[in-house]
Amino acid sequence: MAKRARAVRWGVPVAAVAVVAAAVGTGPVIAAVRGDQALPDRTAEQLLADVARTWQSGRMPPMSGTIVETASLGLPSLPGLTGLSGGPGPSAASAASLLSGSHQLKIWYAGEDRFRLMLPGEMSETDVVADGDTVWLWDSAANKATRLTAPAAPGGGHSGGPGGGHSGGPEGGFPLRPGPASPYATPEQAARQALKAAGSDTAISVGDDVTVAGRAAYQIVLTPTSADSLIKDVRVALDGEKLMPLRVQVYTKGAAEPAFEVGFESLSFTAPAPENFSFTPPAGAKVEQETATPPVGHRPEAVAEAHDRGSVVGSGWDSVLVTSLPEAPVRDVPAQQQDGKGPDGLDVAALLDGLKGAATPVSGQWGSGRLLRTKVVSILITDDGRLLAGAVTPEALYRAAGVKG
Amino acid sequence: MSVRENAGGLAPSHVRQVRHMRHLTRLLGSEIGLTFRRPRNLAMLGVLAVVPVLVGVAVRVASDGDAGGSIIGQIAGNGLMLTFAAFVVMMPIVLPLTVAVVAGDAIAGEAAQGTLRYLLAAPAGRTRLLLVKYANVVVFCLAACALVALSALVAGLVLFPVGPVTLLSGTTIPAADALLRVGVVVLYAAAGMAALGAVALAVSTLTEAPIGAVATSVVLVVVSQVLSAIPQVAAVRPVLLTSWWGAFDGALRAPVAFDEMGQGLLAFAAYVLIFGSIAWSRFTSKDITA
Repeated sequence: MAKRARAVRWGVPVAAVAVVAAAVGTGPVIAAVRGDQALPDRTAEQLLADVARTWQSGRMPPMSGTIVETASLGLPSLPGLTGLSGGPGPSAASAASLLSGSHQLKIWYAGEDRFRLMLPGEMSETDVVADGDTVWLWDSAANKATRLTAPAAPGGGHSGGPGGGHSGGPEGGFPLRPGPASPYATPEQAARQALKAAGSDTAISVGDDVTVAGRAAYQIVLTPTSADSLIKDVRVALDGEKLMPLRVQVYTKGAAEPAFEVGFESLSFTAPAPENFSFTPPAGAKVEQETATPPVGHRPEAVAEAHDRGSVVGSGWDSVLVTSLPEAPVRDVPAQQQDGKGPDGLDVAALLDGLKGAATPVSGQWGSGRLLRTKVVSILITDDGRLLAGAVTPEALYRAAGVKG
Repeated sequence: MSVRENAGGLAPSHVRQVRHMRHLTRLLGSEIGLTFRRPRNLAMLGVLAVVPVLVGVAVRVASDGDAGGSIIGQIAGNGLMLTFAAFVVMMPIVLPLTVAVVAGDAIAGEAAQGTLRYLLAAPAGRTRLLLVKYANVVVFCLAACALVALSALVAGLVLFPVGPVTLLSGTTIPAADALLRVGVVVLYAAAGMAALGAVALAVSTLTEAPIGAVATSVVLVVVSQVLSAIPQVAAVRPVLLTSWWGAFDGALRAPVAFDEMGQGLLAFAAYVLIFGSIAWSRFTSKDITA
């Protein structure tokens, strides 16, 4: 066969690869073109006012969609974390495993008290199904259904959780946020938190319109003015029509990709099928009753917060959490080891050991200790037994350490 | 349609096409017959049928009432779950291994035996021969997956009680619906295996040593499974064929996760397109010496 004919034949697989690559690549482009419906210009103030109005009315439209959370916080691999990330079932959904990699959450939302959240796992599933006063937590790997009842005293006793006190708002749709599923933040919760944190130390602007989950969206950019902050900006994408937060991205200084991102991958504003909200514990499953406790929170500092002996120095973006280290890890007695675990199943002692191992020794006028730098958080463990953490440069931590030293 | 009508009413090119089609189906029939009569392939199918039975017997022997909530543990309560458990157990390596043997052998085996020349002497043409070979692989994939499901169903019926099935979402569906979902799983698994078959067929055109083609395909499967287990290279996961195989669990959710499974099917189609065209380019341009 002629050489030329042969070359032409080999062009076919090359073309096939090109076709597939183009098909993979153009999906978002087509969506972007379709979603590019030239939103009317709004200033940051107008946008925020409209958003506030929408949120105060407290009605989030019925919808169903897929939320994807991606975190690349630049954490070192820690024994307390990695031990959890691989396992199936609820441990895979624990707060620790959310600190790295990408995670998926499906949501069906019909109203404040009718919704379903689903965490798919490999041959397993964790569900939160709320229908009126009935809230079920289903864990297929453990074959366990837990019926959650609201705590006796309502009114958002969230300890530093997002949106505490906004009773009646869309936040009310997730008042229980129970169990292993709670570490997830919906875009809306994250946006609310970001806007709440925006005080005088934040520059708010409107960025270029973007397309999220095929929908045209405004983008609000919150930029910390402080030089100490590790965070470059926080970008909140708001649906152009419904003004519902679709995506929150946290960019750190000197990184092109967001360190943390939570947003819709697909979204449709049609009322979900009612069978999503009816849950009956299957025959043979363990059924338990439980009173929902306020979530501890879903930030990296949650570990420290669990040992709630800390205080916060500074304000806004420059907040530094100062806490004393837990007592020397107790590991010999099994019962106590159980106690040593945090509310999310974190082995705090192992985590701290890992932190110390990964940290570099530092010293200064404030004293000496070990410093751990990640893209988003700096953590300082002083030799006199304090732990300081914040989304700030190490210098700011040293200053905070010096104040109390 | 009679032959006379054919000759009278249709252009000569159509007559040729019809004749080609007939030739093609005859070729495919003989290929399928050869595949399912080969002792080696029969032995592999035997293994595929035995593994679900072994899983069932092991659970039966080991279970003492409550065996936990995992898919394997649920078999004790419901024999239908054995079907899904069988795919969980066999999708990663056993099924791919058999498919790699059949598809990897398809061209290279003929070349090694010296029979490829005679096949090409028939007027089918190389493109058609390749199509027949791939169709044969697809039939084998379907048969293998159906056999696993069937064997697991029978073993489940014999060893365990059967009743309404609890899905991963906690929803309970009647046994008849569960059978339908078994069908969905079989088709999805067969599609995933057919994508691997395209890869193995492409490798098979590159060599004249069948064992090399089979080994290469299996190594590719193992390597991509190792890659998808390493968190640091999680970014490549969507590109790997093996990471889509597990999506058959979408059939066990309520509502059925058609979006994930649809994406999986698209990924399989992309693999078939790329590796099918590689096989075609290589096979139609290579010198057949044996």
